[in-house]
Amino acid sequence: MSNVWTGEGPTRRRRSDRLQISLVIGILLLLEFYLRPSLVEGRGMPDFLLLTLLILCLRLSPGWAAVTGLLVGATIDVLTPARFGANMLVHTLIGYASAWGRAVFFADHVVVAAGLFFAGTWIRNLLVLLLSGAPVARLGAEAVFWGPLQAGSTALVGTAVVILFRDWLAIRIDR
Amino acid sequence: MGGDLVLLVGCLLVGLLAFALPSAWSGAVVSSIRATALAPVVALRARAERDRVARFELAGIQAARDSLALRLQRDSTLLAENAGLRGLLGLAPRLETSWTPAEVLHTPSPTDPRAILLSAGSRAGVAINQPVLTADGLLGVTWTVGPDASTAMTWQHPEFRVSATTRGGKVLGIVGPVIVGASGEPLLELRGVALRDTVPTGAVIVTSGLGGKYPRGIPVGRVIGVTTDPLGYEQLYRIAPFANPGTASHVMILRGTPADSAFRPATPDSLP
Repeated sequence: MSNVWTGEGPTRRRRSDRLQISLVIGILLLLEFYLRPSLVEGRGMPDFLLLTLLILCLRLSPGWAAVTGLLVGATIDVLTPARFGANMLVHTLIGYASAWGRAVFFADHVVVAAGLFFAGTWIRNLLVLLLSGAPVARLGAEAVFWGPLQAGSTALVGTAVVILFRDWLAIRIDR
Repeated sequence: MGGDLVLLVGCLLVGLLAFALPSAWSGAVVSSIRATALAPVVALRARAERDRVARFELAGIQAARDSLALRLQRDSTLLAENAGLRGLLGLAPRLETSWTPAEVLHTPSPTDPRAILLSAGSRAGVAINQPVLTADGLLGVTWTVGPDASTAMTWQHPEFRVSATTRGGKVLGIVGPVIVGASGEPLLELRGVALRDTVPTGAVIVTSGLGGKYPRGIPVGRVIGVTTDPLGYEQLYRIAPFANPGTASHVMILRGTPADSAFRPATPDSLP
């Protein structure tokens, strides 16, 4: 939301804020569940669902970020044949740590936000595989190649989203 | 801060509870959520997969269809001859196997590489323990089934087993997964082969049909080497599988095999 006074009351502005955030989340979910799988398929592609969580974590308190992480993790657990509960645990931790880290380190810089998206994706991938009991070779490949590749693409898209929608998401970004 | 910690601990407890659920229970929970709350998402992903195929793979599918049409025309004489010979011998017509096509719903999130999510469920006639095939060969077997989606255990899963034989049926054994070398390459292994039997490198291994789960003749893989059991009782043949779970996009789920199988339990006697 812009800081310019528009004459609207606080209730109306809150409603407008929610609508704008819902629209951004809707776009990201559409990208995750329809547009990306209908265009391209591969392991290095950006994870828009995790990106939704991380963007929400920039606005939420750590506790509610953990709850959001649990819900996102449950969705991924249901939609992927990984070990049930692994994504719930990992996304809860990622959500809490992201929101807490932002509060502590005051991450209102575009590079820090990109770093958060990168680290969040990479650590999430490794932890999920670790909890799912993946073989060591798969963990190594994820740590060295696939993880950084997906983390990089997610960070790139996330930075673009934050810059494009910074007013809607009410994120203050210094460049 | 205290409230945040309470929420975190609560969420972690829910996650731990889900993590500790036995696989049968978690499978039931996952199937019911997929069939209700996330049914639109599953349908949207299946639609996206179909759209991608229509957009980028149509030429390949048309080429494959044309090749199959040519082959069918060429084999029609053989089919007629076969039917005539079966009639002369008094054999019943060959049993047909019905199948359900399904898309593999890939995801960029890290998943268990030993299982895949499929876009067909019980409404399309899919049931647990049905063979899953690609055009190349055997990929796995259905594991959990919901109304509109199902998961399949691929040949990489530690619990995967299939009774298999060489093309000519001379050597019989059990095929299971094995991790080879320091790089952890997943392969298949033909076990239970007697020391007196030999399977040459390059031989094609197919399902034997024993056990009633997999019909006879589905290609499994090609023999690439042999090792000896540490106890010296048998030879273990390494097999390079034909079907790759990582690149599979469309599969066929064979239906009705267990029910039609000659190995199904006999119907109870009507006499007391």
